Amino acid sequence: MIRSSKTWQVAAMASVAGLVLSACGTTDTDGGGDASGEDCNFKIGVMGALSGANASIVLPSVDGAELALNQWENDECEVTLEKFDTEGDPAKATPVATQIAGDDTFIGVIGGAFSGETRATKSIYNDAGVTMVSQSATATDLTQEDPVEVFHRLVPYDDYQGAAIANYLTDEVGASKVFVVDNSEAYGEPLADRVEETLGDAMVQRDKTEVGQTDFAPTISKMESAEPDAIFYGGYIAEAAPLLKQIRDAGIEAPFVGGDGLYGADFGNAVGAAGEGAVVMCPCAPIEEDSTFAADYEEEFGSAPGAYAAEGYDAMSVFLAALDDGARTREDVEAFVDDYTGEGLSKEIAFDENGDVPQENVSYWAYKNEGGTLVPEVEVTP
Amino acid sequence: MDFDALISGLDRHTLDGITRGSIYALVALGYTMVYGVMKLINFAHSEVFMVGTWAVLGVYTVLGVGAGESLGIVIAATLLALVGAMVASAGTALAVERIAYRPLRKKGAPPLIFLITGIGCSMVLVELFGQVFEVFFGPPFGRVTVNIPSVLETKELFTIPGIDLTITNTRVIIIVGAVLMMLALDTFVNKSRLGRGVRAVAQDPDTASLMGVNQNRVIMLVFVLGGAMAGVAALLYTIQYDITKFDIGFIIGLKAFTAAVLGGIGNLRGALVGGLLLGIAEVYASTIWSSEWANVTAFVVLVVVLMFRPTGLLGESLGKARA
Amino acid sequence: MSQIFDTIRGFSIRDRIAQAPNWARKVGMLLVIAFAFYLPFLNILPFAYVRTDLTSRGSDWASVLFLVVVYMIVAVGLNVVIGFAGLLDLGYVGFYALGAYSIALFGSPSSPVVEALQNRFGLSETWAVPFAMCIPIAIAMSLIAGVILGAPTLRLRGDYLAIVTLGFGEIIRITARNLDNVTNGATGITNVPTPPGPETDGRAFFNTVDAERWYWLALTILIIIIWLAFRLEHSRVGRAWLAIREDEDAAAIMGVAAFKFKLWAFAIGASVGGLAGLLFGSKQQYVEPNAFMVNLSFLFVAMVVIGGSGNIYGVLLGAFLLTYLPERFREFQEWRPFAFGVALVVVMILRPQGLVPSRRRAREFEDRKVEAEEAAADV
Repeated sequence: MIRSSKTWQVAAMASVAGLVLSACGTTDTDGGGDASGEDCNFKIGVMGALSGANASIVLPSVDGAELALNQWENDECEVTLEKFDTEGDPAKATPVATQIAGDDTFIGVIGGAFSGETRATKSIYNDAGVTMVSQSATATDLTQEDPVEVFHRLVPYDDYQGAAIANYLTDEVGASKVFVVDNSEAYGEPLADRVEETLGDAMVQRDKTEVGQTDFAPTISKMESAEPDAIFYGGYIAEAAPLLKQIRDAGIEAPFVGGDGLYGADFGNAVGAAGEGAVVMCPCAPIEEDSTFAADYEEEFGSAPGAYAAEGYDAMSVFLAALDDGARTREDVEAFVDDYTGEGLSKEIAFDENGDVPQENVSYWAYKNEGGTLVPEVEVTP
Repeated sequence: MDFDALISGLDRHTLDGITRGSIYALVALGYTMVYGVMKLINFAHSEVFMVGTWAVLGVYTVLGVGAGESLGIVIAATLLALVGAMVASAGTALAVERIAYRPLRKKGAPPLIFLITGIGCSMVLVELFGQVFEVFFGPPFGRVTVNIPSVLETKELFTIPGIDLTITNTRVIIIVGAVLMMLALDTFVNKSRLGRGVRAVAQDPDTASLMGVNQNRVIMLVFVLGGAMAGVAALLYTIQYDITKFDIGFIIGLKAFTAAVLGGIGNLRGALVGGLLLGIAEVYASTIWSSEWANVTAFVVLVVVLMFRPTGLLGESLGKARA
Repeated sequence: MSQIFDTIRGFSIRDRIAQAPNWARKVGMLLVIAFAFYLPFLNILPFAYVRTDLTSRGSDWASVLFLVVVYMIVAVGLNVVIGFAGLLDLGYVGFYALGAYSIALFGSPSSPVVEALQNRFGLSETWAVPFAMCIPIAIAMSLIAGVILGAPTLRLRGDYLAIVTLGFGEIIRITARNLDNVTNGATGITNVPTPPGPETDGRAFFNTVDAERWYWLALTILIIIIWLAFRLEHSRVGRAWLAIREDEDAAAIMGVAAFKFKLWAFAIGASVGGLAGLLFGSKQQYVEPNAFMVNLSFLFVAMVVIGGSGNIYGVLLGAFLLTYLPERFREFQEWRPFAFGVALVVVMILRPQGLVPSRRRAREFEDRKVEAEEAAADV
């Protein structure tokens, strides 16, 4: 411990001076934002919840994008993938979007991963002409009610998903009394609404729960009196796990079906024994046998490809194809992506005028939880 | 609005509410004891509970037990998990006191400062399990939901004839466990020598010091006891819900704190009354409307009760309890 | 560590400012304000290192500055409640949310409320309450909410007030999320209006790209609010708060109507919070309930307490540090919350009176410290 305050003053002065001097040495304060169109030196941003409770639904797609970039072969161009953590929070996403929009070397954005942050940022990107290709934002209004020029997505929207899930419930499961539960959040509620609409009379009761809830006793007792022959839950893994456990503990054996919010490598681990046989519906086709994607992914990141890994890969591939095609400006990229057609990992990629993949290209799959892993069960259409 | 569902299954819903409230009540004890003695809201207490659930997982993992073990192993493993959770939670509570509160107490800082260090500690603990441990030890730590094996499986014990109410073993354990712990703590505080010290400090710290009560030791004792109760709650929670996660403490802590205030903060029996009332109110509201209104109901009940009884249902009185 | 603080205290900037002639203080103040307005363009080494967009993974500097200033407004408002009146409000985010929702509900052509008004009065589909009208609505709504919350609860003692206000914040958020046909529920409301302004470069003056304009707007409002807060502190009301804070019973005996003045503090604090929320919602152009989680309330309280509860400069510093630092150090990504928690504990232990304590508060604190030492000596 230095006792004298004089000594401290000197030390403080010296360190401040040191900082100033060392600071003078470096330059570039412009976010590295020198546009260098001719050199083909570009950045692609990816924004989403890279930390926080829902990161496990986003991180695999980021890894997928990185894999696509690593496998890309192009001598002319230098592309870097810049990752932006928004924690899935729209308020944190807007400064990120403004930053990307203001830096001309960004020619595209993969994301937003969630619908809320996409809603908050799409007008920023639109103003700046930055093309967005989302790997997982499914809210209907993003393209149907309030479309913007630059927004594209590789997943079908809630209306489609809800209808597909409802068809699975009635046709594959053969249910006529479905109990629909949602998590009251921007993801679960609209999805459950669409399921409810399509089910019509085949829905016996609807209940709403909360994010962070663990005790579902009121929901369980409603189920007991409704005696459903299938249960649909629109929400995330953290709540699905205790819900499933309590359903099974109460002796309700009806099949449990969840939306793509449950799709993730940690689903099996979280639900444990109670989740055996639970079904997760996802607009993500199983990766074809002859593709090396799964193996490559595992080699690169040490785990099997998780939720939307293939979509992340595809999104990056679309941008890289644009550069291969000679696109060098944001306008070029936007024009290229709008007209893009090609065989992707997840599906046959094309975008309609709203930025959605045409419905005939979408494949929607049911995955069954068997011994802790999600195994593709059957393809469904709305 | 479905009042019929509430009335027709009133017994069942009440039982559900009591089950939910029992866990609130046990966690509420920690808030109440600390408040009673130090007039301080221990914001890190929710994380003390969270650490307990991880301890349960740790004990099960070390023992290598899962579902479907024989009765003897189930009992032994559960008891070991109970001890593990109580020790881990009490240890955490003690550490929080040492690191975040004691230095401030020495400086005589105003209560607001304790609140901020409490929030800080809470964030640190959450991040330890959600981030730091993941980096150092990998799974199961991290930000994902983790399953805890149902060593103690739910089985139907009996059905109450006449009203057709099925009682399961987990329910019995949770409710009986909570009430037993509460009684034990109440007896300890009211009857034992150490408990008298606690009450003395709660009543008048200065006089208690003059009478030879070691204030620091009493405060440590209070944190240990509150922490141990949170550990019990953690075990009961894992038995009922089978999961843990880095951030599960927050909501339980919020509810438990509400329960403590509802019953009269500083009052042990108040914690029980407040916890049960809160649990029942939430379940009733969830039945009439749906669970999305449960939290609003909880807080509305709190405001209404406080308007008519400004110090909670039973009043605040750790010191005055049978003084 | 504490020696560093002693050193800083040794400079006694405050005394020097106090001794400086009046004109020098005014010029100094103007310089500070001018510098604040210039800040978005600050790009001279080495000072440019404060910018948050140095790496391509950073976040937009002007947007961050805007958020910092909005939180500064929040901190000044909350300081009226906590610092001046000594009331612990853990639900301040509720007022912030009300402000944001007021402008969204009444100003956005796609909000259910506006749509209902359109249908009721046969207005066109693009009609909405003009921005200028939304400001008094937002302030009025949060002010009324402050009074409604305060009237029954302000008779409660400090810690009870804390949990009740916390509950209030949650009630606001959950209600906004659940009332689907009023607030669009969890989906939130888009097309929140921006302030009117001349069209530049083919865009509205307040658009999503030029964040510095938003920053200047917020800064102007902040300066006005700071000025008002200073006037308030030294007014009759301010002195009443001080009396209540130090000894409520004594104040009551001297004829200070404690309840009335507490309610004033609550209402004033609430309306400032609402105004900050309005700015946030308007800049964001999108309002959704999850932006108003209870953690934000804790952050607000932390800003006030860390900075130095009761001192306006202190809370400004607190708001600046707690908003700016996590954005400046984005590269540490997931480690930021952990560091934040550690920082809260360490700073509070080393400097329980806050970074820039209010003089009055520091003296109150010294009193307590002496008492604590005496008590410790007794043991």
